[in-house]
Amino acid sequence: MSIQKQAYNALESAVGAKYFSDDPAICEGYRSGPGGYESGLGYERVMTTIPSAVVMPKTTEEVQKVVKICNRYKVPYVPYSTGFYGPRSHCHVENELLIDLKRLNSFEIDEKHFSINVGSGVIYSPIQQEAMNKGAYVIIGGGGAQASAIANLIGDGWSPLSHRIGLPHRRILGTELVLPDGELVKMGSLADGADPFWGDGPGPDLRGLLRGFTGLRGCLGIVTKMAIKTLPFQPEPLVPTGIAPNTALALPPKRVKWVNYQMPNKAAQVKAMFEIGKAEIAAAVTKVPLFWRAIAKAECKEEFWEIWGKETEESIKNFFIVRVLLVGYTSEEQMQYDENVLNDIMTELGGIARPTKPSDESWIKNADSAGMWLMCGSYVSVDYIIESLSQATQHGESYADLKRKYTPPLMPDNGDPGWFQSFELGHQGYSEFLVYWDQDEDTTGVDHFYLETAKMNIKERFYTSLLGPHQPLYLTGPMYGPNYHEWLLKVKNAFDPLWVCHPPTPLAHDDFVDRAKWMKPLKDWESPKKLPMPKW
Amino acid sequence: MRKDEMFDTKKKKVALDVTNLKNFVYDMDHCIKCKGCYWVEHTYMPGVQFSVRCPSNYWNDFDAYGAFGKMRIGLGINDGKLEWTDKLLEIIYADPLCGACDVGCKRNLDLEIGLTLEALRIKAVQDGAGPMPAHKKVAKNIAAKHNQFGSPHENRRKWATKDVKIADKADTVYFVGCSASYVNPEIAKATAKVLNACGKKFMLLPDEWCCGNTLYSVGMIDEARELAKRNIEAVKKTGAKTLVVSCAEGYRMWKADYPKLLNIATADLGFEIVHLIEVADEALKKGALKLTKPVDCRLTYHDSCGVSRLCDPWTPWSGERGWMGMVSPPLKRRRGTTGLYAQSRNILSAIPGAKFVEMPRTRENAFCCGAGRGAKEAFPDLASVSANHRLEEVKSVSAEALVSACPWCKSNFGQAVKENGDNIQVMDIAEIISASL
Repeated sequence: MSIQKQAYNALESAVGAKYFSDDPAICEGYRSGPGGYESGLGYERVMTTIPSAVVMPKTTEEVQKVVKICNRYKVPYVPYSTGFYGPRSHCHVENELLIDLKRLNSFEIDEKHFSINVGSGVIYSPIQQEAMNKGAYVIIGGGGAQASAIANLIGDGWSPLSHRIGLPHRRILGTELVLPDGELVKMGSLADGADPFWGDGPGPDLRGLLRGFTGLRGCLGIVTKMAIKTLPFQPEPLVPTGIAPNTALALPPKRVKWVNYQMPNKAAQVKAMFEIGKAEIAAAVTKVPLFWRAIAKAECKEEFWEIWGKETEESIKNFFIVRVLLVGYTSEEQMQYDENVLNDIMTELGGIARPTKPSDESWIKNADSAGMWLMCGSYVSVDYIIESLSQATQHGESYADLKRKYTPPLMPDNGDPGWFQSFELGHQGYSEFLVYWDQDEDTTGVDHFYLETAKMNIKERFYTSLLGPHQPLYLTGPMYGPNYHEWLLKVKNAFDPLWVCHPPTPLAHDDFVDRAKWMKPLKDWESPKKLPMPKW
Repeated sequence: MRKDEMFDTKKKKVALDVTNLKNFVYDMDHCIKCKGCYWVEHTYMPGVQFSVRCPSNYWNDFDAYGAFGKMRIGLGINDGKLEWTDKLLEIIYADPLCGACDVGCKRNLDLEIGLTLEALRIKAVQDGAGPMPAHKKVAKNIAAKHNQFGSPHENRRKWATKDVKIADKADTVYFVGCSASYVNPEIAKATAKVLNACGKKFMLLPDEWCCGNTLYSVGMIDEARELAKRNIEAVKKTGAKTLVVSCAEGYRMWKADYPKLLNIATADLGFEIVHLIEVADEALKKGALKLTKPVDCRLTYHDSCGVSRLCDPWTPWSGERGWMGMVSPPLKRRRGTTGLYAQSRNILSAIPGAKFVEMPRTRENAFCCGAGRGAKEAFPDLASVSANHRLEEVKSVSAEALVSACPWCKSNFGQAVKENGDNIQVMDIAEIISASL
């Protein structure tokens, strides 16, 4: 049964016939997979479906109208900005409406007060360029240059630049949220119409509900507008060079520079990050997996495997890189000072500077995460944590051990311990573990690995980011609360009593484990026989 | 143990053969919806105003009109889950196949998006659903009058007046093409004058016929192949070593699509394919072409798709796909890197008195005029919207003239300028070179 006719007519009236469709070909274009982030896996096959209809509102008011119609006619819906975030941002139930937010593309920049105000359809790379044109910058989150800034900021939003610029939720200065029932809530500076300055309040700050640690994938409403802080950058232009695929930003050498250091061991690597933070220098301090270098060098996947095939467990074990971005924010002299301090730290710790290209291909404007699919065709960041530097830098090693058990189908990577870096001038450490596979292989092992990581994090007491809709709530909730699951379900029921907003999130992964028979052997936690949510 | 020995991946036969959509299932399957096909490449991203490069998805916002949507729809067609409807035909055909998606995707992935889109149109014709009625009319014209417009065949050389020197026998053939022969004769004439000025002796084909660009582009592969054979044979009969064109669509057709249709390499055509801009640029560098007459104008350049991201030479390839999707034997993927990006810019920068300025979107990131490959014939509104969007960009850099290297671009921009009453002069590069002689 499709969306009922009255709802169809009302939705069409809300946005105009041009921006509403239930044509099968149009709806097929919104299929989640089979390729993409976390796609080609059991979750995508079992939990996603194509929408029954698609609507494209242009304004917050239109979004409200659409959501109210959905409540009136009990039409489940999912908000969708760019669709990059894989199956979890696509339709999960039959007869669902997909609300495509790409037409909410308003953009304002406040040069004087260092902020921008954007709609849900605005992506990162144009924002960064506009900011740089005015002597400012933002972070391009790991979700990529083509990810919606709002979607990324209510989910993740960090990058190596978080060493100086800090965590993403600190940069949200105002939010306009259409609640699951269609009511509008304005938070922070967007609530009182002041210049974007203050992200909290007035009244209780709902950002925590909306965002939590890594977001709830749109199951608590739709953010239609956000004021985001920008920070002062250096004034020289970063000049685009080359023809695709070999493009990069040429860096002004006296104001922006990447330097790679080979460290003698892991202890020196971590210590260097601490010391750089303590000295309050640098724009980014990061350690990336070795195979990313192979991705950067390779023109095609065959070449990647030729390069990567030469690496061994031994070469990975002895790879201790620290990659540092220096920016002369205020002057060339400041940049020189930073470089001198950095050299002193590295000399003391035995770090050796390696030749580094005077260009940026990855982080200032790009966040070129699409490159993650080159080697195998399929990819997901299975976990990311923000801890202390000393803990974060251990996190990847436990993952690497677990990963061995599931290789194949996971990509053979010689035990690479992943990616870690300094956040907030070394006060925090970040670790992200990325896995790769070929979706044409039997992917049962990847589904199992994904779930096993939650159990491992619980056992090893890592505060994992992938709670809520990312893992079974009844597995992680009791361990991270001890009643996080009950709290989250109460919030969901209070804000969305009909569960029209992106069902069955936040119980989606629980539902998946119940429905996928190959997941049953892994289920060793308690959960209600019938999950406490309406059945769609 | 070698890394690939950990897996027992079965190898599958695959070929870059657009007549069988199944060859591109891997490519459709592995689209990650990053939308690198839609947005301007991030390095070159100019800001919020001119941030996209897909005319089809600019014209219609639904994901289905972007390459990422079409890959999913293509799988549905391949699996027999989607029926051909008017809407589905619109999705497949309302697209100038400009190649922006293909080069965007190949920045990070190895997917053959452009070939998949061509294969989808061929599949539409194979299934009896395509092409669009407007395309059938073009095909009828070509069959009857050997040109796309249905104009009298005997008028093809009308542009060739006595003030241009055309040899009876030369090493170079100028293939004029339908548009410059019938609709934009000023381009043919200017091209001849520039070739004369370069000292490049040239002849014309004794009986030139349409290159078949529209036929190939809309999936009428059998008809296109017959024209390819006929035209190649006609050039070979002249004994020419070089074929020069002034049309970007024709350039792509001769250089990439004829070899593709005949399953040969570009290098095996038996003669070289060059565009006028290559001839003029080389002559300029050698001092054979002297641009002396000032042209007092602030001008910008539009990279026509056929001379930029779509013109890498063709090499047939078939083999196997195995572990991690790797193919063997080695495949050199066409990424648009050998496009003629520098030549026109060298020429325009050398025109005395002219001030050459770049638009925000250039080279492989340029926004197509929207007219090519059957789009304007079947979806004139798409062509108009695309041209107007590009003209906004022209205005943003305060250019007085817009120069391109393709008569189809000139016609489409020219029509939009006329309809809007814009104060922008639209010129082919042959004309501006000619004006500077």
